[in-house]
Amino acid sequence: MNKKEFMKKLTVGIKKLPKEEQQEVIQDFEEHFAIGLAEGKTEAEIAAALGTPNQVAKELVATYHLEKADHTSNTGNIFRAVWAVIGLGFFNLVIVLGPFIALVSIIASGWIVGGSFILSPLLMLVNVILYPDTFIFFDLFASIGLVGVGIFIIIGMYYVTRYLSKGFINYLHFNVKLVKGGLKDE
Amino acid sequence: MNVQFKKGALELCVLALLDKQDHYGYELANKISKRVAISEGSVYPLLRRLAKEEYFTTYLQESSEGPSRKYYCLTDKGRDYLHQLIHEWVQFTQGVNKLLQEGDHIE
Repeated sequence: MNKKEFMKKLTVGIKKLPKEEQQEVIQDFEEHFAIGLAEGKTEAEIAAALGTPNQVAKELVATYHLEKADHTSNTGNIFRAVWAVIGLGFFNLVIVLGPFIALVSIIASGWIVGGSFILSPLLMLVNVILYPDTFIFFDLFASIGLVGVGIFIIIGMYYVTRYLSKGFINYLHFNVKLVKGGLKDE
Repeated sequence: MNVQFKKGALELCVLALLDKQDHYGYELANKISKRVAISEGSVYPLLRRLAKEEYFTTYLQESSEGPSRKYYCLTDKGRDYLHQLIHEWVQFTQGVNKLLQEGDHIE
């Protein structure tokens, strides 16, 4: 592989990074090639010592997304970080995607339960409007009680969501350390 | 040798080299790959990550031949981190060596 091929593959691999970041990476590798050539090495030798551009690009992209997920952990960021970590190896598909799906379903079900409890008086209202003779006070009090429970669940879910997403980011870090391999041993 | 193991050691090598003097990327990749079998390309993602952690700063310097070079300079924060890593490394290798000796693997 010559310099042009290496740089082309690298550029393709990192095209999802911000422009500024891309330029810095390209500059680093331009510099690397230039110094190697000045020392009398051939482009092929330098490229071979660097390893595969795809792997270098994957490591750069994964590092970038983890960094971002650290600073602002909104859903989109975490999702992209998960995706980048999965990209590091097929092995990860089970190890990262499995817990992620489980976690998202647990969080989602908590929110849905809390939300439907709070909305339960609406159901009662609909019931009363449709069948006015079935109104009993027990329904009214039960639904008011459910609203209270629902509010507690929602408040609880807020903390659970924050806590779990933080924990999951840590897990991703651990995973990257575990899986992100060197190049020569592949 | 095991891949993850090398990754951790690579971080230590980079920081240790920068502790003595500032280096540019090519130099770091070259010096390390002479002693340890690594792909030089994996040094650059590592350098970017450590720079973001503020373990070192970078500056450009003109060179008599070729393009200007990006030098990496260890910060105090990076030096603290290096000392912590060295401590962990020594503990780890001592432990492993002890185990090997007890198993009579070393003649």
